[in-house]
Formats: sequence, C-alpha cells, structure tokens
Amino acid sequence: MTKPQTKKTDKRVGLFVCHCGVNIAGVVDVEKVAQVMKDYPGVSFSANYVYMCSDPGQQMIIDTIKEKKLDSIIIAACSPTLHEKTFQEAARLAGLNPYQIEIANIREQDSWVHTDKDKATKKAIRIVKGHVEKAIRNESLEPIKVDVTRRALVIGGGISGIQAALDVADHGYEVLLVEKNPSIGGKMIQLSETFPTLDCSQCIMTPKMVEASRHPRIKLLTYHEVESVSGFVGNFKVRIKRKPRYVDATLCNLCGECEKVCPQVVPDEFNMGLSFRKAVYLPFPQAVPGTYTLDAANCLGLSPVRCGKCKDVCDKKAIDYDMKEKIIEEDVGGIIIATGYDLYTMQALGEYGGEKYEDVINGLEFERILSASGPTGGVIRRPSDGQVPKSIVFVQCSGSRDTEKHLPYCSKICCMYTAKHSMLYKHRVPDGQATVFYIDVRTGGKAFDEFYQRTVEEDKVLYIRGKVSKIIKEGDTLIVWGVDTLTGKKVEIEADMVVLAMAMVKADGVQDLLKRLKISTDIHGFLAEAHPKLRPVESLNAGFFLAGCALGPKDIPEAVSQASAAAAKIGDLFSQKELSHEPTVVPADDEKCSGCAICITMCPYGARSMDKERGVVVVNEVLCEGCGACAAACPCGAAQQRNQTDEQIFAMVSAMLRE
Amino acid sequence: MKIHYYPGCTLKEKTTALDLSTREAMLRLDVELVEPEGWSCCGAEYPLTEEKIIGLAAPARVMRQVRDEGGDVLITTCSFCYAVLKRTNYALKNDALKHKRINAFLKDDIKINPLTKEKTTGFEDYNGEVKVLHLLEYLRDYVGPPKIKSRLKRPFPGLKIAPYYGCRLLRPQKELGLDEPDNPHIFEEFLELMGCTAVDYPFKQECCGSYLSVSLPEAATEASYRILRAARMNGAQAVAVTCPLCFYNMDKRQDAIRESFLDFGGLPVLFFTQILAWALGVDKSALGLAEHAVPAAHLFEDKPRAEVTL
Repeated sequence: MTKPQTKKTDKRVGLFVCHCGVNIAGVVDVEKVAQVMKDYPGVSFSANYVYMCSDPGQQMIIDTIKEKKLDSIIIAACSPTLHEKTFQEAARLAGLNPYQIEIANIREQDSWVHTDKDKATKKAIRIVKGHVEKAIRNESLEPIKVDVTRRALVIGGGISGIQAALDVADHGYEVLLVEKNPSIGGKMIQLSETFPTLDCSQCIMTPKMVEASRHPRIKLLTYHEVESVSGFVGNFKVRIKRKPRYVDATLCNLCGECEKVCPQVVPDEFNMGLSFRKAVYLPFPQAVPGTYTLDAANCLGLSPVRCGKCKDVCDKKAIDYDMKEKIIEEDVGGIIIATGYDLYTMQALGEYGGEKYEDVINGLEFERILSASGPTGGVIRRPSDGQVPKSIVFVQCSGSRDTEKHLPYCSKICCMYTAKHSMLYKHRVPDGQATVFYIDVRTGGKAFDEFYQRTVEEDKVLYIRGKVSKIIKEGDTLIVWGVDTLTGKKVEIEADMVVLAMAMVKADGVQDLLKRLKISTDIHGFLAEAHPKLRPVESLNAGFFLAGCALGPKDIPEAVSQASAAAAKIGDLFSQKELSHEPTVVPADDEKCSGCAICITMCPYGARSMDKERGVVVVNEVLCEGCGACAAACPCGAAQQRNQTDEQIFAMVSAMLRE
Repeated sequence: MKIHYYPGCTLKEKTTALDLSTREAMLRLDVELVEPEGWSCCGAEYPLTEEKIIGLAAPARVMRQVRDEGGDVLITTCSFCYAVLKRTNYALKNDALKHKRINAFLKDDIKINPLTKEKTTGFEDYNGEVKVLHLLEYLRDYVGPPKIKSRLKRPFPGLKIAPYYGCRLLRPQKELGLDEPDNPHIFEEFLELMGCTAVDYPFKQECCGSYLSVSLPEAATEASYRILRAARMNGAQAVAVTCPLCFYNMDKRQDAIRESFLDFGGLPVLFFTQILAWALGVDKSALGLAEHAVPAAHLFEDKPRAEVTL
C-alpha cells in the first residue's frame, strides 16, 4: 500500500473550532488548536468561536466562506448527529456544496471523556488533522433524486388504521386500507363504553368505519393480508393476498338466510368465544363491509356434495364456492403500520386458574358481557351458569409489572378500564360487591382521576392495594387469595366472577409480516420508533410510519393522535416534488469489480445485485443507506463509499498518528 | 441396571414405607437402587433457609461420592432431599464463589481405602457433574411410560387420587425445573399411567405446614386440613404425596385435624411409590401400610374397591 502523504492540494480549507461554552473549551485549549492548525498544509483559514451553532457563529461561517473563497470547511465541535445539518445548510447559503463540510467531533470523543487539558488538546489536534486530510479529498455531491408514488398503504383496520387512512385520504391522497379480518373495526369495536366519558364505543366508531368505506380515495381491502413489500421510500411494490370470502360482497344483501341454514356452529371471535356463530357469518351487525363471510376452516366442505345449504338458499347467488386466493400487486409511496395488540394469554397465568375456571375472564371478555350487543344483551351474567354475579373481583396488573414471571412493563390502560368496569358493574348490579386489587392506580390523562375518584366515592367500589396470589374454586364460588399491603394482612375474598386486567402484548398474527418487512421491534415485540421522543411515529426504515398499540399499550385518544401524526408524516412525504436520497452511497466500480458478489451478501438493504451479462455488481443507489458494510467486505476495492473512500480513511489514519 | 439412590434419613427411620416401596417397585422395572457409600443427611430444611455456605457441604459431599463411584444420575424420592440436592448442585454449577468455598472446605475430607483402611486426603473438586432426578422425573424421562405400562400387573381402574406436590418439588423453577410451578402435570401423568383418575384441586402446590409441625403445630394442622378438605371436596379417595414430612402432617396429624375441624371426614394419604409398587405387582406386605395412621390398606385390593366411606 502506498503511504498516504499530506496531499498537495489547491483546495482552500477553513477550520472553525467551537468552544461549546465550557463543554469543549473547559478541557481543550481551543485557541491552541486553531493556532496550530493554521500552518497545516491545505488550511487557509483557522478560527475559534464560543458557539458555532449560534446565529452569529453560522454567519461567521457564511461570511468567511465567501470572503476567503473557501472550498471546504471543518467544524471542530460536537457529534455530527447533532449539527451536521445546521452547518451543511450554512454552507449551502454561502454557495458551498454541503458535502464539502466535515465535522470533527472534539466534544463527545474528546472533551467529555478526558480531563487532562494538555493531552485532550493534542488529541483534538490529531482529530482535526484527520479531517483536514479527508476534507481535501472530499468531492462535491448532489442528492440522488427519486420520484414519489403518492398513494399510501395502511396495514391494520382498527381505530388507528382507520383514522390514519381517513386523514391521508383527506390530505388528498389515495389510500389502501388492508385488514386481515372480514370487517374493519379492530379491538375498539368490541368495547362497550369508553373511559372517562362513558360514550358507547360502537356509537363513536361506526361513523368512522362507514366514512372509511365510503371515502372516494380509500380502497378498503378487508380479508386481505400483506404478503411482502419491495422497493424503497416513495416507490414500494406491495403484494397483497386476497383471502377467499366465498361470498360476493357486491351481491350479498345481508338477508341472513345462509346463516339460518348453516349447520356448523363455532365459537364467535367477536364475542371472545362467549357465544357462537355459524360457519357463514356476519362478524357483527355494523360490520364494514356489510357482507357475510364463509369461514372455510369451519365449513363442511365448500361443496354442494358435502352440504351446500347456504348456496341453495341464497337468492342473490352471492355464494361462490370456487372463489380462490388471489395475489394483487399495488404501488405505494409510504406505509403506515397499525397492526394493534393482543392480550396476554390465560394459560400463562396458571396461578389464576389458567383456562380452568370459566368465570375467570379477561377485560375484553368483560367488555363483551357489558356490551348491549354482546352475548348477554348487556346484562352482566357469568359464563359458567348465566347467573348475575353478586361479587366480582377485578385484578389489575395481571401479567403486567411482574419482572420475575411475566411482563415488566405497565399496560397503561388497565387502571382506567378497571375503574370503568367496576363502575359499570355497580350501575347494573347496585347491590353487588366490586373489589379491585391494584399495585398503584395510574390515572394520568384528561379527566381520568376524577373518573377514578367517582368509582371509589360514588359507586363504592372497594380498592385493595395488593397483589392476588392465587384464585381457587370451591363449588360454584371462586376464592381470591391476596394480600392487603396497607394492613399487611392476607385476604380471602369470595367472588362469583373474576375479571383480570390482562397485560397488552404484541399482536401475534403479524410477527412474520414484520420480519418480512424488516421492521425493527423492541424486546417485547412492539414496533420500535426511529426516536422514542422526537420521531415517535416513524420507523427506522424510511417510508414506514407507525401508529397505535402496535408501538405499545395506549388508550384510544393516544392511538388516534398517533394515527393522525403518521398520516401527517405521509403528507410530508407526498407533498415533496421528488425525494432526495443521501449521495454518500457505495457504487461499484466496473473496472475493479471481480463479480465475487461478497458485497451482495453483506448488504442489509438489497441494494446490490449481479449484472449476470457483464459479471459485475450493480447498485440501486436509492436503496443504499451508506452503511459501508460492502465497502469493508470488498476484496478488490471496487466498493468505495463516496466521501469515505479507502484513500480518505488511510489518509486520516496516518495524519492522526503522525507525530 | 444399577442407579444411585439417595433415600435420606427419614426414609430410614419414620417412613420406611416410602423406601421399601421404591426399591421393590424399581426392581420390577429392572433398576437396582444403590446408595452412595457413607451418605449423610442432606441437611433438610437448613441448607435452603440460611444464606450460609456450610449447609451446602453435606449435600455436595453426597453428590461427589456418587460421581467418584462412577454414577452420573442420583435419584431421590423425598421432596426435601430433592430440593436440597438439586439446588446445591445448581449453586455449584452456577455460583463460582460457592463452588470455590464449598470445595475448599471439602478438600480436607479424609478418604479411607476400603481394603487397606489407609487414610488419605485430596478429593477432586465437585463441579455439579451428577444429575439429580426426582423419581417421578426418572420414571418419565428415563424409564418411559411405554415400558412402565408394559409391566403393570394391577392398575387401579378409576381410583380417584389427588396428587399433592407440596412446596419443595416445583419451586424455584429455574433451579429445579421439574415442571411448571403454577400448572404442573408430571404427578397427574404418573397417576393416569397407573390407571388412577387424577383429581384436580387448587391446593396441590400449597404448603402442608412443613416444620411448623414442630414449632407451631396448629398452623400445620390448619394448612393440612385445607389441603385434605379440598381434595375430598373434589372427589378424591386418597391423597398421594412424595415427601415424608407432608405425609406426617397430613396422615399422622389427622387425629389432630379432626379434633380442630369437626367437619373433616378423613382421607387416606399414600406415597406415590406405594401406588407404583402395587400396580407393578409388589406384594401388599412390602408396601409398609402398617405405618399409616389413617387406614389405607382397603385401597390395595385385587377385588373392585368400594367407594371410600369415611
């Protein structure tokens, strides 16, 4: 390897050393750094200033670039993740190509981690020298321009997905709303009344569902599943599987004759298995789209030979046993993932009876029991024998906040819905006893605490601070063993029914899809935000936006806000004439490429492929994220990252190590 | 086949029924149980309750002996012995400090040559090489249900038995790993294999009162009463146990239970090995039924048994 020497250059490099108040200047002698670097080959200007990122600091950069006719500048300051964009913009204003800007990090990598002023100053000088070598080899680059397909895909038709789709459509863009179940509505449509105002969930949600189905710019794809997504931000190709419904939605008039004759009875998912439906069914009366669906898994055989009763009675000839699964392909520019959540399973809570006791139910089951359209018509009856329970114990944090055995996080909404459950129970069974076991009552939210106080004070729900250790059954009665941690006493409470405020967990059914989309998740399987505070509805994968409980437990207003935020982000994306992509990508040099294809296997973004005819690698620069994995792996030096070439890196290393 | 077996001291004294029925049953499954040379008490409750390392020395020494005799598996039936041995083994494998200190202590043990009676020292460190198994585990994983089934001479058709795990078999799960602590099934599977009907009842993992039997007998009486009552309420004709102390609290203490709780009707308590032995054809005289305070002999009849009337 040739030893990179300080390059003879015509380039005029300017250096600006930032004090960052005392953040840098307290440990690094910034004046000395500027002084020493004045004479370094290639450096035409060198200065220091207290806050380079301030307005005067930036003005100084702009003026100096013009005055001294600089064609590359180095800012020795904080990490480039903070202010690289700021300084690139300043350079652009001065007429300098933004890719001629170098950030030398002398704060996080120097002043913040050292105390010896002398050594830290020497280190700062070495860091800056390296960047001078890089700067004089930097090229001017232009962002790569890409067209945008102004059409969005929303995955998941719960309240988040519906809200996101409506907002994007109202922004003026087309939306595909994909839902895997026969109807949109998600979990919210199963709820009875919503805290803290007790408005009926169906009453406030069905208008949105109808609006989504009637909106001229929303294409509703229920009973569909996303198979795969290829392409890149602005230009995705989506493959969507249409599951055969065996009922032609355009013909079905909801007369219900098919349901009457169907001999197959199965548990009803919408009522959480607390009632039954037929194999051909309408999920719930307000289902959107309003059509029956024939569930092939439970049908006797989709054939007139086996049964065929439903087909015989259908006047509209809507039932079609020959309907086939179909894959459709669509082009979209941005994707919103709103795939929701599931509840922690009963089986996981063996100490609470697992699935053994019929009258130990989860919160969503209780919602159905409370609902006027539910299995009991809104009368509170327990599942085992249909009796009205005279005593109900509510167990908060069932599975949540248990670092040893279950899930360490708080499921956030359970305190409020348990207050609501116990209140609604007391309204309907005034002489009944409602007891709540809690660890803390967390009521952060508008009018939330007032609601909880009402539950305790007006509706006389008994709150016991403590955990339930075990639930046992004696005869028809459940006995709840717990501890009252305020008195330190063990308590045993007889109950006719127990409602577990079950932890919210990742939705199981979409985990494969998320893997295929390479969407990152946190340790609990919830979607990971690009930044937990500042980019809360964006995925790290460009063009993907996130909303609702797929990100983590949250209540309805918060889910709706996120949905609108994600839709606004789609609006941002689609309002651009064209998209810019960072030009610091890694092309493949035809002359040097040996066609070994190692770089293809290294690329996590699928940006590199083999040109079979020419035997060399070709790069889709729009897909390349500039991670450099290929550049490091390439044995021929054919993969050189722009403005991060091997030559630049070696020159930086020697400049830094040279005495 | 010879397998190492740790009876524990109670089985040699108070509850020979458990020891005897275990040996007889295993012989019928072609397993001869051999005791490690010079075994001592495992320490029972004490090694588990105190954060002192010295308590772990005795069980570690037993397991080292098994290893030095060429054994890789050690079976035990008593729940306490099982918990002590297995947890000690776990500590030796996973806790470097305990490993170091126990072995430093045990190194000075004196070895006696059985032939020459010559005394030497210098044992190799014991690193948890022996696998400690409860007999239920050994039957399930090593002998296997098909073989056991093929040897059954007198299965118990429909006898309703309530399996009682107690507190020591299942927890802590990370260290013992026998079964799920809140939803165990190994005992039920064993009983079903014997032809019994396993009775499900909520007290199968609740403590019987354990050593409170000595210091606070009323507490043990009440705890045992609740277990037996729940088993009866769910239709059990007997309770099956693995632990001599559970047996003591629930069988020998039944007179006291009846005195304190007038509604209690009584229920025989069996060792699971008595069920196994009888089903495999062992003679009734080898079941140690005379040790029972509550008569249980009527459950072991060739003729169909009458419903339990107590």
